[in-house]
Amino acid sequence: MSGALVAWLDDAPADAASAMGGKFASLAEMTRAGFGVPPGFAVTADAYAAFMAAGGLLDEVRAASADLDRDDLAAVEAASARIARAIEDAPMPAEVADAIAAAYGALCERAGTETVPAAVRSSGLAEDLAGASFAGQYDTYLWICGADEVLRHVRRCWSGRFGPAVLTYRPAGGPDAAGQGMAVGVQQMVAARSAGVMFTLDPVTGDRSKIVIEGSWGLGEAVVSGEVTPDRFRLDKVTLEVLERAIATKEREYRFEAGSGVALRDVPADRRDAACLHAEDVTALAELAKRIERHRGAPQDIEWAVDERGRVHVLQVRPETVWSRRQRGPVAAAGGSAMDLVMGKFMMGVKPEPGREARA
Amino acid sequence: VKDVGLAGAGMTTFPDPFAVETPPGAEGWQELYPYYALFSEPRRELEQGKFWFFDGMHNPEPIYPFDTIMTENWWVAANQLTTRVWQVPPAGGIDHRIVNGYLYISPNSLDDPDEIARRLEVFQRRAGHYYENWDEIYANWIRKAEDCIERLKAIEFRPLPEDEREEFVTGHRGLYSSYDLLTDYGRLIENLFEMGSYHFEMLNLGYGAYLTFREFCQQAFPGITDQTVARMVAGIDILLFRPDDEVRKLAVEAVDLGLADVVRHNPDPDALLAAMRGRDGGAEWLAALEEAKEPWFWYSTGAGYTHTDRAWMDDLRLPVAALRGYVEKLEAGEAIERPLEQIVAERKRITDEYRELLPGDEDREAFAQLVELARTVYPYVENHNFYVEHWHHSIFWSKVRELGDVFVDAGFFPDREDIFFLHRNEIYSALYDLIIGWAVRTPARGPSYWPEIVERRRKIHRALRGWSPPPALGRPPEQITEPLTIMLWGITQETIGEWLGAGAADGDGAGELRGVAASPGVVTGIARVVTTPEELHRVEQGDILVCRITAPSWAPVFSRLKAAVSDVGGIMAHTAIVSREYGLPAVVGTGFATQRISSGQTIEVDGDRGIVRVKT
Repeated sequence: MSGALVAWLDDAPADAASAMGGKFASLAEMTRAGFGVPPGFAVTADAYAAFMAAGGLLDEVRAASADLDRDDLAAVEAASARIARAIEDAPMPAEVADAIAAAYGALCERAGTETVPAAVRSSGLAEDLAGASFAGQYDTYLWICGADEVLRHVRRCWSGRFGPAVLTYRPAGGPDAAGQGMAVGVQQMVAARSAGVMFTLDPVTGDRSKIVIEGSWGLGEAVVSGEVTPDRFRLDKVTLEVLERAIATKEREYRFEAGSGVALRDVPADRRDAACLHAEDVTALAELAKRIERHRGAPQDIEWAVDERGRVHVLQVRPETVWSRRQRGPVAAAGGSAMDLVMGKFMMGVKPEPGREARA
Repeated sequence: VKDVGLAGAGMTTFPDPFAVETPPGAEGWQELYPYYALFSEPRRELEQGKFWFFDGMHNPEPIYPFDTIMTENWWVAANQLTTRVWQVPPAGGIDHRIVNGYLYISPNSLDDPDEIARRLEVFQRRAGHYYENWDEIYANWIRKAEDCIERLKAIEFRPLPEDEREEFVTGHRGLYSSYDLLTDYGRLIENLFEMGSYHFEMLNLGYGAYLTFREFCQQAFPGITDQTVARMVAGIDILLFRPDDEVRKLAVEAVDLGLADVVRHNPDPDALLAAMRGRDGGAEWLAALEEAKEPWFWYSTGAGYTHTDRAWMDDLRLPVAALRGYVEKLEAGEAIERPLEQIVAERKRITDEYRELLPGDEDREAFAQLVELARTVYPYVENHNFYVEHWHHSIFWSKVRELGDVFVDAGFFPDREDIFFLHRNEIYSALYDLIIGWAVRTPARGPSYWPEIVERRRKIHRALRGWSPPPALGRPPEQITEPLTIMLWGITQETIGEWLGAGAADGDGAGELRGVAASPGVVTGIARVVTTPEELHRVEQGDILVCRITAPSWAPVFSRLKAAVSDVGGIMAHTAIVSREYGLPAVVGTGFATQRISSGQTIEVDGDRGIVRVKT
């Protein structure tokens, strides 16, 4: 036992990434910088390690995954199920359980309610690093209420750590998914009116002078998972003008309802074709994206939510990984002076270049 | 669906210029225009094989015979720069023809590589000289322009005296009023051609530099708006904003002097002036008005190319309406001054941020140089418009009206405005007729000759106004290479394809028009189709203006609009920036909006994507 079992977003340890996982370390950084991150805490990698050690679970994992043929799906699934069962059945060390329950109690107190709904998400240590996105490989549980439920879902995140997909996912040269620790984030839910993702560059072209926002009604999971075609707004990053606005027909949304919890539900007809964001929401989100990018010094991919009162929340931030690594070619012809470019303008019709018709 | 004069579906060419029908009542329209401006049999082969597009940007209405002076001016003045002076390597001149009273123009291009290479050397030397010495040449240009305007103002037309003036005798002048009238007219015409030549002296090079910067931005930041590109280079002291700024100042002065109620209660300019005279401080305010008027109210309500574009100086209704609006804002506690410091700071921020977004030092350096060059040329690009089209042209039209009075006095026609039904060369004849009558003391032929002609032409002109000019005639070119056509009118292969497509679409897509997304935003509202400035007063609060072209001096009307749509509008149309000042969604260059849309229809203007949809 080397460190704290829980770490708060607004009181993160110096080694946040190794204690809280990439996802929550980023959120801690966002919290510290004053962006609107919902309050929460991470069940640290040390808590996970304590749990695994107490139950002798690491030996179990090694036994189950030894000599595993990653191309044999049945074998992978069997190994995964065996590990999950072991994790389900293992005793929870009291200090870990107490620390999580106490932190959840504190979260409820902050929210001013008895049982605050929380999102419980895995936050892997190898995840969300620039150049290696594990996005979507881990688990998320929404609208979890009560300390017991939180504990149960933390355990599920731990076991999901060894799901078939994660066991086999090992990109060339990437981190070894099976050998890493992990953290689990517990964060107050935002009752999102609309939510989605945004990029501080155009993900289609890599153009860094744009911000692209995608959003839909309800919780952001519908957009993140690709279950709906979201509304799409493309803005000029410098002036924040909306250059393109594509409003989709949004038939389904993730919405919480008492009794049945969070589920994918039909969007009422009057909202289906309506934009999920007002013009001022779009501006606020773009300004936020710009500030986050400036703060982090590189293009970012941001999950956001707007609540019923129109407040904007940052749910996740990660470095953009596709375009950031590419070398961009110059715009001007090499060595051309401004005057050469101007002279060229008057010659524009002379040597038509393919794909670049003379246009003004 | 209205007939727009295009052939049916699957169209690959535009209507044959020789097959365009004369609208009923306009038979004989050719007599209104010079012979060289008409399509004709001996040149049929040449003319039929070319692409002609409607220049509604400068002449949205059928041209009056006298007003051809403006198009004839640039037919020479702009083209000689391209072909003989700069020798823009791949460009021939832009030819003109008049069809049913409307101007069609046709770009020519060169394709002989040897000739292009020869011209390139000349072009680089000559254009390079102007770019290198731009500031000095521009300072001198202003002196030339102001001197030209001073000489124009000095020309006065008065009826010939019954008895010749005594001092011509005692001063042994040997030249008399007949000579003065004839030569003053000559000087008037020459003065227009002089200013017309200055007009183009630096214009195309200015556009070229600005548009190079614009294209660089479009490549580096795809989708960047024209407004943003313009904001990076535009100065804050653009002369086109001055008339409006002067009105703002007059509003502040009226409020300071306790005269706000006078402005509020007197929408009629004459009543306002009369009421001011009767109030304490009124004289002071009227003096401020007089000071503002010269030269800032020589501000045309149109593009300045036709005499019907009246200036604020002639018709105070527009500035007075704006004045009232500003006074009301001031009384409501709103600031009306343009936030100049903020505009300057914003310009710097935007430029710096884009520069930082560029990937490499080489691009940043090219960007910095292009911004600097664009900022160097931009004052000319912006301000020539006030000197030439507003200040000079407005005074020019008022001088022609003065001459009209001389003819009215001599009984040649009943109304001073009738002079515009005569071509400028016919006026030479008419003047000679007039001075013969004066010299011989016999009746001139004019009073029995011109009234009938004027009446006939008035009817023809009215019939021509009802005709809808198709956007283009003749054979579409394989490629548009003439740089000015692309730069100034925004005519590209795409435009031509859309025109052909729009002409073919009779059913599907008829409710949708595509154009240039000129100012962002999406709104739905009631269309108000306005084809002449005189119809502007019909525009009501919240209307969507649908016009052939917008003019910057329609500004007071813009404050009442929800959106604007125009048939024509190249990227460098004079009006674009000023209309965006008002933050209205706008789609320009739709080709057909005034034909496809009727007043009272509900339309949606999508200024983000350049689409106009007819809803009802």
